[in-house]
Amino acid sequence: MKTKHPIDRRWNQRQRDWAVVIWISFLTACAGSVVLFGLVSPIDIAGIWADEYEISIQLAYGLDFAFMFLLCLLASALTMYMIRTGPGSGHAKGQGRRSKPQIHDPSASNPDLDSEHWK
Amino acid sequence: MSQTETSGDSLYRKDPKVYPRDVTGRFASLRRLSMFVLLGIYYIFPWINWAGHQSVLFDLPARKFYIFGLTFWPQDFIFLALLLIIAGLSLFFVTAVAGRLWCGYACPQTVWTEAFLWMERLVEGDRNKRMKLDAAPWGRNKILRKSLKQFLWISFALWTGFTFVGFFTPIRDLGQSIVTFQLGAWETFWLLFYSFATYGNAGILREQVCKYMCPYARFQGAMFDKDTLVIAYDEARGEKRGGRRKSDVPAERGLGDCIDCTLCVQVCPTGIDIREGLQMECIACAACIDVCDQVMDKMEYPRGLIRYTTENALKSKKSKVIRPRIIIYALVLFALIGGVLWSINDRVLLRADLLRDRNALYRELPNNIIENVYTLKLINMDAKTHRYTIEIVDNEDMTLSISPEPVLEPEQVGSFIVHIQAPVSAGRGSMELKVRFSTLEEPVIERVVNARFLMPFN
Repeated sequence: MKTKHPIDRRWNQRQRDWAVVIWISFLTACAGSVVLFGLVSPIDIAGIWADEYEISIQLAYGLDFAFMFLLCLLASALTMYMIRTGPGSGHAKGQGRRSKPQIHDPSASNPDLDSEHWK
Repeated sequence: MSQTETSGDSLYRKDPKVYPRDVTGRFASLRRLSMFVLLGIYYIFPWINWAGHQSVLFDLPARKFYIFGLTFWPQDFIFLALLLIIAGLSLFFVTAVAGRLWCGYACPQTVWTEAFLWMERLVEGDRNKRMKLDAAPWGRNKILRKSLKQFLWISFALWTGFTFVGFFTPIRDLGQSIVTFQLGAWETFWLLFYSFATYGNAGILREQVCKYMCPYARFQGAMFDKDTLVIAYDEARGEKRGGRRKSDVPAERGLGDCIDCTLCVQVCPTGIDIREGLQMECIACAACIDVCDQVMDKMEYPRGLIRYTTENALKSKKSKVIRPRIIIYALVLFALIGGVLWSINDRVLLRADLLRDRNALYRELPNNIIENVYTLKLINMDAKTHRYTIEIVDNEDMTLSISPEPVLEPEQVGSFIVHIQAPVSAGRGSMELKVRFSTLEEPVIERVVNARFLMPFN
């Protein structure tokens, strides 16, 4: 009977990627919140809007952190997507890896293209 | 690392430099026209005055945006958000209909790269001469040409940076500050930053921005379908490719119409071979169509071996331009543009923010009168001076006083103290009230805002 290797129960590549995206975004949002709110009050950022809805300072901190976390998540997820879908990762017609385009003198095998215009 | 290198997946592998060959033709002319129009808009608009202001000026310190006689305030942020949505949706619409028209003709990366390439060709010559020059050892000719090219590039980049800052600081004042060496630190920073970005993106990075950095290229697949116009090589007609004389009959030699001159690859600004099929790196500039058509003319074959077509058309299936997604995009786009135009036309050129004093809930005055104090921020968004009247709507128990007198010059922001008083018998706790602001001058500009009035709770 085939025994399941312990590594099989680990996360696959996509799960690992998302874990990194979420964790790094969280850490960055934490650091960003500490720096930003060390300088300004979240109520000042919300201004009139907070006043109109009578937002408490705790809720304002929470909302601002959540917004920052969301932005960091978006940036990280987009970065992951860009890296994972870079060019050269496949053939346009699904025939495996694409080779580098070959270039040669147009007139080499086409004697009618031997004027300076085609060189 | 070694695994990444051998698999060739690294984003950091060194790509060979692309030397795009110059091309003429219908689409090249269109691309140049688009370049002139767009760069013209960018470089000329800040110099045109309109209704007493620079035609396009994003005055950040004053928090006002001037766009051809219209003034937008921070409170008009919704228009900016809607404008971005319209821009995004337009991109979806255009892409679904005709593929990456944006990339090929209108993207700033393409437009400025085209301008930088033009300067490069002017100084160093076309593809073959540039390749020879780069391969040659440093000598008088190479130093002179490279220096001249850098001089042109840097001057153009600096002018671009200067114009960019000119959208945020009145450009004539900015020019004067430069001439008199009185440019501010932030203006200097942004001028150099944008110049550097232009130089780096259009001069150095070029196609690498499109291939590796631009997210639009990665998402375009979601906007494409089999009826989207793309630039494609007609494989059925072109294969088997091979060299020949014009007098040869291709069929007799078992050849298609592609003479394998590789000119389509040589003119490609991203260095791809369109004959390999639709690729993410293709920015749809149509340079390959122009050069292939010239070759077809020379060989006396029909044009269009590489052409704008659809996947369905290539497979000899019926191709439809009007299809559900196009209709939906068009309807939403039309509704949004119409809505924005209507809202801009219907804007109330008066802004009022009535904020209750946070330090005290209310004040008890003699004769059983309760008073709430408010700070009023009034913005005259009109181009005329106005005096305003302020009254409480549908509440005769309450009285209102304001100081100083609310008179505002055009585009002036004023801060006032408003006292609202009511007898104790008027109610308990928190009460909603409406305050109407209107101009004394005709035509009357009017706005009603909600406020909260606090009374004793017991």
